[in-house]
Amino acid sequence: MSETAKKIKTFDQKDWVKENLSYHKDSGSWAWIYHRITGLALMGYLFLHIYSLSTLTSGKEAFEAKMKTFLSPPLLALEWLLFVFVLFHSLNGIRVVLVDWADGAKYHKALYRYSWIIGIILFLAMGFVMFSHEIFKLFGK
Amino acid sequence: MYKYQSSKNSGAKSWILQRITGLALVVLMLGHYILMHYSPDSGHTYEAVLTRMQFSWYRIIDLLFVTLAMYHGLNGLWGIFRDYKLAPWLRISIISVLVILGVAFTAWAYNIIFSIPYVHNIALLL
Repeated sequence: MSETAKKIKTFDQKDWVKENLSYHKDSGSWAWIYHRITGLALMGYLFLHIYSLSTLTSGKEAFEAKMKTFLSPPLLALEWLLFVFVLFHSLNGIRVVLVDWADGAKYHKALYRYSWIIGIILFLAMGFVMFSHEIFKLFGK
Repeated sequence: MYKYQSSKNSGAKSWILQRITGLALVVLMLGHYILMHYSPDSGHTYEAVLTRMQFSWYRIIDLLFVTLAMYHGLNGLWGIFRDYKLAPWLRISIISVLVILGVAFTAWAYNIIFSIPYVHNIALLL
């Protein structure tokens, strides 16, 4: 075996979880990991979403009986939290496109930071859109 | 070296489609989220859905939305599997499951959208 071949770090497929966890991660690695997790969650949600709207075929009563569950405060809060997944996947997706098509490799770390700032602002804005009626009701408007 | 391992499909088409559908979905998804939540009723009552669905443009956008989302999601899922070295039988099985899931759920969603009736007197709703 040549010298260079010895220097190449290899690892057993058995320990890939451990190896992956021990790997030094920069913003790009985290973006990759979060992009996968949010993507998987959104895919699961899409299936759930089609299933939960399927009562639309059986008319008003069936649909609104089902929707009652989704109008409870904990589930409304979950819908807001889902927006975190949507926002991360959207903004990081835009970042990926910029890296691929617009020389974004030069500024991808800055883009990652901006994504978080824009994401937090949009998350709070959506919170206002979703709960403004409750907020106004609370203050007697 | 890759003579016996590669296929003619480089994945370039799926890569570019993933980006195009992704960008379209950003716009559609933000619109969908705002539309469904700007008032408590807009996403959760039958009247609101029925009223929207009187306009065929909403149906067309929804059909497009669910198709793009399903393609983008399942193509992304396949992208995750592609990161691992899979035996050919496993690869074919996974693709089959993903395609069947995609076709079945898209057909279900189409069926839901088309099942919502057009009302004769639209003034009663608006």
